[in-house]
Amino acid sequence: MKRLLFFLWVLPVFLLACNAQEEPQETVQINLPMGYIADPQYAPFYVAVEKGYFAEEGIDLAFDYSFETDGMALVGANERPFAIVSGEQVVLARAQELPVVYVLEWFQKFPIAVISKSSAGIESPGDLVGRNVGLPGFFGASYIGYLGLLQANGLQPEEVNASDIGFTQIESLLTDNVEAVVGYANNEPVQLAGMGEDVQTLYVADYIDMVANGLITNETVIAENPELVERFVRATLRGLADTLADPAAAFEISKEYVEGLDDTRMPVLQASLPMWESETLGLTTADSWQQTHDVLLAAGLLDAPLENLDAAFTNEFVEKTQP
Amino acid sequence: MNTLRTQPIWLTAVFSFLILLLVWQLLVTLGGYQRFILPGPIDVWQQLQIVLGDGRLLKHTLITLSAIIPGLLLGCLVAAPLGYLLAKSPLAERLISPYLIASQAIPVIAIAPLLTIWISSVYWSRVAIATLVVFFPILVNMIAGMRSVPPELYELMHILKADRGQIFRKLEFPAALPVLIAGLKIGATLAVIGTLVGEFVRPQSQGLGYLLNDARQTYKTDLVFVVLLTLAAVSLSLYGLVALLEKRVLRWKLQK
Repeated sequence: MKRLLFFLWVLPVFLLACNAQEEPQETVQINLPMGYIADPQYAPFYVAVEKGYFAEEGIDLAFDYSFETDGMALVGANERPFAIVSGEQVVLARAQELPVVYVLEWFQKFPIAVISKSSAGIESPGDLVGRNVGLPGFFGASYIGYLGLLQANGLQPEEVNASDIGFTQIESLLTDNVEAVVGYANNEPVQLAGMGEDVQTLYVADYIDMVANGLITNETVIAENPELVERFVRATLRGLADTLADPAAAFEISKEYVEGLDDTRMPVLQASLPMWESETLGLTTADSWQQTHDVLLAAGLLDAPLENLDAAFTNEFVEKTQP
Repeated sequence: MNTLRTQPIWLTAVFSFLILLLVWQLLVTLGGYQRFILPGPIDVWQQLQIVLGDGRLLKHTLITLSAIIPGLLLGCLVAAPLGYLLAKSPLAERLISPYLIASQAIPVIAIAPLLTIWISSVYWSRVAIATLVVFFPILVNMIAGMRSVPPELYELMHILKADRGQIFRKLEFPAALPVLIAGLKIGATLAVIGTLVGEFVRPQSQGLGYLLNDARQTYKTDLVFVVLLTLAAVSLSLYGLVALLEKRVLRWKLQK
């Protein structure tokens, strides 16, 4: 009898174990549009791949270093399940009925800054009035971050002599072609400092909380495959946490993914870390979305206020991954 | 179908355009495409009315045209004399041709960012790119035109004791003109592409290239279509102007 009871107790456990072995998690191949070229700032993703976090979630991840707008369109058309894009692009895209949803805020601080030589005396946004400022173009995160900085400080775009200088911020500043440039806080200031230039940096994030780079998916993926979103978010957050815990190791891993990466670019990663830190990694706030929306609306980049801004983002998946 | 054949050309063109619109709308409706993937003709029409109404389309079209036309003219002015020289001088051909041919292996999109650095003026950098694109087809056609002159006509001119200038004016130029104009037709459409490349590299909030980029950045696919259709209209108009010029200056040949 004891043997029979033992058998009856063991059998379901055995069958469950067999079942689990028979149906391993199917691996999904995902091509992730990154929005930029291979770069050490993508270390959290490289770490997550290298340490097998994506593999553990049944995801075979490949990187697609394409334009941000292309990634957005592909996710909107449900041709890709995920992409890395900046928050303001999500608002612009939803205004054109792209059903994209922001599910993880990677950069907690908007990474745009206005950089000038210290000798120019641009120490606060108010000092930009009447100055010649060079932007990579009147589009994208740089332009919107710049507008956010002006708006947050009660400045009108007409008060500053802004010009389009293409992606020549370093050369334009060094040759005094302009008095200040708009660039990424983890790039141009780092490069200029590396050249021994004494620069003054005005960080947009110090004046306004706008939604920066993060992970998007679309409404179809959320409705039909929410587990995939949760798995992707979990793997990304593990890579992000590991990178923050050990940046040097993350940089070493990045060398496998970024051709020609040498130690001179470690400062790029170091400058990125403070922009990723947060009490709970990956969470986004409704207030930052409202501020981003208001900047776009005031700048005329939105034709009308966006209905249902709350549908543009969710913390559901980040919260599910919390212990 | 016989009725259609007997109608004037413009009526046939209108008919084919209506068919195109119908097929386009059917594709959107049956395919269930969202507006940002493939807008329908009605969406594009509405967007066209907006950008016409606020003056943006006209403003950017004029800015683009102001670079296309000088680019086309400069391309002709540089390419035609050089083509003449290469056709007439075997030494010049041996010296210059390899570089000209090699230069055509470099895509203009690759060299455009360099031109924008070398030429600090945004406007002239765009004109330079358009010139560069127009240059080669005109050059090749000029050479082909000069070489199409039958040798017996040269003999005739020599018998008539014509000097070098007379040979050029009375024989070579008229003989080369049909081929040169064919090159100009190609150049007219290429100048649009060249200017657009320049506007992509340095948008400066000006020109159809900027408007196209702005539309892409704000996911307004209907505005992308409006700009593309405007570019097509500009290309067709320039082509039509050259065709009119051809009719006028080659009347003798067409009559023949």
